[in-house]
Amino acid sequence: MPEANAAFQQIKNDALDHVQRFYDGSKPVIMVGTATCGRAAGALEVLGVIRKALDKEHVDAAVLEVGCMGHCYAEPLVIINKPGHPAMAYGYVTPEIAQRLVRDYVIGEDPSLEFTLGALEENDLIPSIYDLPRYSYEQHIILTNCGYIDPEDIRQYIAKGGYEALDRALRMQPQEIVDEVRESGLRGRGGAGFPTWQKWEACRDAPSKPRYVICNGDEGDPGAFMDRAILESDPHQVIEGMVIAAYAVGARYGYIYVRAEYPLAVRRVQIALRQARSLGLLGRNILGSGFNFDIKLFQGSGAFVCGEETALIASIEGKPGIPRYRPPFPAVSGLHGKPTLIDNVKTLAYLPQIINNGSEWFAGIGTEGSRGTAVFALAGKVINTGLTEVPMGTTLRQIIFDIGGGIPNGKRFKAVQIGGPSGGCLPEAALDLPVDFDSLSEAGAMMGSGGMVVLDEDDCMVEVARYFLEFTQRESCGKCTMCRLGTKHMLEMLTDITQGRGRVEDMETLQELAEDIKAGSLCGLGKTAPNPILTTLKYFRDEYEAHIKEKRCPALMCHDLIAYYILPDKCERSCDACVGTCTVEAISSNRKGIKVIDQEKCVKCNTCLDACPPQYNAVIRLSPPELVPASKDKK
Amino acid sequence: MEAITITLNGREVSGHTGMTVLELARESGVDIPTLCHDPCLAPIGACRICLVEDERSGRLSASCVTPIEAGMVINTESPKVQERRTTIIKLMLSSHPDSCLVCDKGNTCELRKIASDIGIGVIDMQRIPQPATIEEVNPFIERDLSKCILCAKCIRADQEMVVEGAIDYINRGFASKPATLNDMPLENSECTFCGTCVAICPTGALMEKQPVYRGTTPTNVSTICPFCGCGCSINLGVRDNRIVRARPGKESTVNHGTLCVRGSYGYDFVHSPERLTSPLMRVNGDFEAVSWEQALDHMSSELNRIKKAHGSNSLAVLGSSRCTNEENYLLQRLARCVLGTNNIDNSSRLYSAASIAGLGAAVGFAGSTNCLDALEQSEVILVIGANLPASAPIVGYAVKRAARYKGAKLLLVDPQQTRLASFAHLWLRPRIGTDVALINGMARFIINEGLLDDEFVTRKTDNFEALTKDLKKYTPKYVEKVTGVPGEDVCRAARLFAEATLASIVYGNGITQHVTGTDSVMALANLAMLTGNIGITGGIFAMQRYCNGQGACDMGTTPDLLPGYQSVDNDAERKRFADRWGTDLPVNPGLTALEVMEQAKDGNVKGICIVGENPVLSFPSPSLVKQALESLDFLVVSDMFLTETAKLANVVLPAASFAEKEGTFTNFEGRVQQLHKVIEPLGDSLPDWEIINRMASSMGNPMPYSSLQEVMDEIQEMVSLYQITDYRDSQTKDIHRAELDRDPLKKRRLYKGQFPSGFGRFSPVHYEPPAEMPKDGYPLTLLVGSILYHSGTGSRSSRSPRLRAFSPEAYVEIGESDAGQVGISDGESVKVISPIGEVNAVAKITDTMPEGMLFMPLSFPSTPVNQLFGITLDPRTKTPALKACAVKLERAEPHG
Repeated sequence: MPEANAAFQQIKNDALDHVQRFYDGSKPVIMVGTATCGRAAGALEVLGVIRKALDKEHVDAAVLEVGCMGHCYAEPLVIINKPGHPAMAYGYVTPEIAQRLVRDYVIGEDPSLEFTLGALEENDLIPSIYDLPRYSYEQHIILTNCGYIDPEDIRQYIAKGGYEALDRALRMQPQEIVDEVRESGLRGRGGAGFPTWQKWEACRDAPSKPRYVICNGDEGDPGAFMDRAILESDPHQVIEGMVIAAYAVGARYGYIYVRAEYPLAVRRVQIALRQARSLGLLGRNILGSGFNFDIKLFQGSGAFVCGEETALIASIEGKPGIPRYRPPFPAVSGLHGKPTLIDNVKTLAYLPQIINNGSEWFAGIGTEGSRGTAVFALAGKVINTGLTEVPMGTTLRQIIFDIGGGIPNGKRFKAVQIGGPSGGCLPEAALDLPVDFDSLSEAGAMMGSGGMVVLDEDDCMVEVARYFLEFTQRESCGKCTMCRLGTKHMLEMLTDITQGRGRVEDMETLQELAEDIKAGSLCGLGKTAPNPILTTLKYFRDEYEAHIKEKRCPALMCHDLIAYYILPDKCERSCDACVGTCTVEAISSNRKGIKVIDQEKCVKCNTCLDACPPQYNAVIRLSPPELVPASKDKK
Repeated sequence: MEAITITLNGREVSGHTGMTVLELARESGVDIPTLCHDPCLAPIGACRICLVEDERSGRLSASCVTPIEAGMVINTESPKVQERRTTIIKLMLSSHPDSCLVCDKGNTCELRKIASDIGIGVIDMQRIPQPATIEEVNPFIERDLSKCILCAKCIRADQEMVVEGAIDYINRGFASKPATLNDMPLENSECTFCGTCVAICPTGALMEKQPVYRGTTPTNVSTICPFCGCGCSINLGVRDNRIVRARPGKESTVNHGTLCVRGSYGYDFVHSPERLTSPLMRVNGDFEAVSWEQALDHMSSELNRIKKAHGSNSLAVLGSSRCTNEENYLLQRLARCVLGTNNIDNSSRLYSAASIAGLGAAVGFAGSTNCLDALEQSEVILVIGANLPASAPIVGYAVKRAARYKGAKLLLVDPQQTRLASFAHLWLRPRIGTDVALINGMARFIINEGLLDDEFVTRKTDNFEALTKDLKKYTPKYVEKVTGVPGEDVCRAARLFAEATLASIVYGNGITQHVTGTDSVMALANLAMLTGNIGITGGIFAMQRYCNGQGACDMGTTPDLLPGYQSVDNDAERKRFADRWGTDLPVNPGLTALEVMEQAKDGNVKGICIVGENPVLSFPSPSLVKQALESLDFLVVSDMFLTETAKLANVVLPAASFAEKEGTFTNFEGRVQQLHKVIEPLGDSLPDWEIINRMASSMGNPMPYSSLQEVMDEIQEMVSLYQITDYRDSQTKDIHRAELDRDPLKKRRLYKGQFPSGFGRFSPVHYEPPAEMPKDGYPLTLLVGSILYHSGTGSRSSRSPRLRAFSPEAYVEIGESDAGQVGISDGESVKVISPIGEVNAVAKITDTMPEGMLFMPLSFPSTPVNQLFGITLDPRTKTPALKACAVKLERAEPHG
């Protein structure tokens, strides 16, 4: 279809023209990462300062808002692309630093190397950001454009090669696309890793019409933010992927389901949809091909369970977000009982590149059973929190230590919680596990949507299990007995254990109940909810035993099992720091001037421990509380 | 369908595609326990009790939602299955109160039953009670959600069976529960208290309020609900000759496990302290309790005296659409053979005589042309002049199910915004009394656009040319002018109706109670025949206000028709009955109900016998009726209560209620269903059939029946519509089902699409401006109708403590703008005044009434709405117009 080609060529030329005019080398271009991670760190303030400073100095420079590069730990992040200089990335930018950067680098000639993370292109003078060790492990496919383009301007995406795959796909037979996806070995990135092409084929072969494509962006795991970052940073690749998928399965309508708690993602997706529609990349007769497909954005109300595909569909239908049994699978009977292809944000985001670069290229990345890359959100006790995209098969150690930079404050690694509340906690022994769908589930965890929470020696594994279970129990839809009542019972037992009321037989009961719930629940939420318990019981049984038998929390975390104590020989008599901060007046000086905590009054708020000057470090936690020596002298 | 063989507990069994493991297991006699499964509901796999193991993979799946697959090796009792099942029940019991001993659910609790089957005694799990407050403000349902196991049967029953949408899941996790919108009390929600959820709840979480007895009832008898014409099967639980509970009959093909608030809670009028328990005789102006002999002796001597002195036609009999077929049959025999007069009529004259005349002329049979299931399968349903959710709730459920779940398009014609409006694909709001113009407009459009079913019209109907000619003037423009419905909507409606392969028409009293009722029915029949929608599919459904409105007419309690709609002046037929009864029959048609009253007032009718009817309230112009009855020489009334009519009688005979007798009712579909005696008659009361028998004997002309069975036999012999073998067999609960494949069906329905007489006949009818139009000084139109929480004139429902508690007093619904004009606020007392009379009521301001229109329920004896009506009769059927009249509105007390 040459017409389609010409239509697209026109769009592409216009976009290139526009972008080239923008980067014509006449003025500096400043990019500020204003995805949610950046905003949380103060990016909007930085943006304001930069604009104001440029204004004040009458500097002709372009300021762009971009998405997230993945270096969330270093937010706010600013890129300065000055004509004649390599583009430079600056991290941890405060309003003061921003002020200085404008003054010294944009106006002046000092690249302020003390604030830079590195140059964004190879050059002879300044070390490149890509020389950071993490980049030798990372391989960006769907994060490629994130943080480098303005997500609210479709021309920037097109100038980077965007929508070329759609143009190509529309000139292919739908079956060819399905074949390409099959050859690529792409598996669903929502967590379960179901082969994508199988869903597609089932949907395409289902007889009834219309068919729907839904993009599942209902990311709800604590500690996961990959989908948010992608939708905020590069929404068009998801839209392009959706149109390709729709063409392959013959769908007429699509929904992007984003939770309302992601207002920025919602806004940027809405803008992107509008722009794609205005260029004829969405809607009727896409690129003159005769193919019709349009997408609506649907805002979810924040129920975790709506990430489950059937609950998500119910939610779009206006019903309570409650999963239903399968089969029939949505591919056969989904939204309004019609065939519905429902894929995760990341799965869809891979498609343009698979179409552009071919299945062979994609299949060449990753491991035998898990092709391509995986995107993880690193969070918790890790230095470089943020996003990372690595080929499947990269080990946990490489991700946590080489990319993540290891554990802060010299603490010891204890465990990594993968896959959110449905995943498991893997211990140090599992660090050399190659990360892919199959090895993770063998170890008792799961890929999940890609959340990775790192835990150190201060984290109590029983408490971690309790925390995640509290989450799943609260987020259970309540429909099936196993999940509604089973998780509640497990939660009560874990709460008892963390509060010192555990019984030895609880461990066995927990194990049995967990297995019953795993086997007997209706949907994925219930089937995976026991994973945090099962893995901690398996890998950290000693911690459970300490809690139950000795009423001791080895990580000194469980409130009811610890006591605060001031070491008399470390306490500096003339220092009153702790006394003054104690909110309940539980600390007093004894005759010798040494501070003593009245255990009856103490509410274990940790303030005294924080207040005690580091040179003394006299306040410590003890578990069980009985370890506190009986105080001999009372004032 | 493809056969699929699986291995079930080591045995090979076969089912077909689409079957679930549970269904196949139950069919194969393998019991799998369930809590959330019910055949009336779509399965959801929530409770997980029905888990089974596929031994090939070791995977567990909920059998209620797992389709069978070839090669499956299912074990329903493997150790793994048993272990999980035990866990589930323990989890449930650990959150369930220990109140089994005092729980009304008693040994019908399904949770308790499964626990005992599995052998769970002690719960070794931590007790985690579900917090709940008992909801018991409304008079019907008590909700104690601490006993809820969240099987969601109530939610699904509400949404899938009765389609009210009152409850759904609320909250998440352990806190989730079924609740109304924003967790408001039931009475503030869409709930109609139909009781379907109470009946389906497996535990004691949903129970009837005010139970007289806690626990299981020793006797449970299925019978037929005595209120509207739907004919629902209800199962009554009895203890100590007292009905303590009503539940929907599960087996019924009419109500499929549902009921409405009247069926579930209205039965308690049976035990009202106002029930008459002995005959009463007026002595010196006051009633005295007397023996049956005394009462009957007095009655027979009086009636015989009048007959002798003034002739047979100075006597009249009024039967009831609430009495059984047998009673009505006996009553007309009493009138014709013993009293010797055709002055016999029944109360359906007031409601549905238009159906008999209209459908009789067009279709050849006076009643609905198909069964309820067929209605639910329709693609387009035209509901006109029927507030189904209030007047015939079970038909309302079927229409809502069809519209919500089966893709049917509802075409609603109603000036008032009923609860069906939100289900309507197209909703037309014509002016009152303009139905004929609207229907004719649709018919004209269908003919003009060539949308008619040519083959049907050519082969099965006649008089088409006359119709075509007569419809010419009903252009969309003309119709719009007359009805107020936009012309294009009329065309859209016509196209929608004509283009559906299966289309049905449902109409009610909003059609038949107008002066032009018969015309409207004929116009509807024309519409159905034009589009070929009378036959095995689709059809016309005529609603009946009372449980046996159809049967009373079938049985010939009419002045001009013998049983089975045989004209009294048809010599051959009259002879057939005369021969059977061994006596000559009066030749000339008698007086209709309203004519009897007029003649009584004029002194030509001197003695009346009324069985189960309350004309003082149900007839128009109560003062005239009262005057007529007061001027009689003798009035005998048989009733359960001392009604406004009975108070005027010389002799009152205590009748037994529906629950105290046997017999049959014929519902609106024409389904003949058996009543079963649930309790013994209270006090000295007797079933009406026995009273009629005794009356005949005491008048010296006994009828030769020694049992009710002999009456049934005779009906079957004499009335061709009732020639059904199973009618004789009292064990058959649902005669209709037995008759489905039998030939006699063709006498009642259009068997294989054939009209009884071979052809359907088009009858051109014309629009006449309605008499009830607003006139000078009376600017508003008052609509009168039935409401869900009462029945008819309320002689029974107002004596049901729970219905009365919920809906205690009459009200008048007023649209916001009309209320504003008169300066009336919600809850204020107002006067509704017509040229004939006035009544007081409480104002209820709503947004469901169009401007210029009011609505009042007719069911409150203390507020007799019919006082507002004069007597205007349908010229064909002598049915009085009782649906609408011109009124004005005033505040009861002017502002001071």
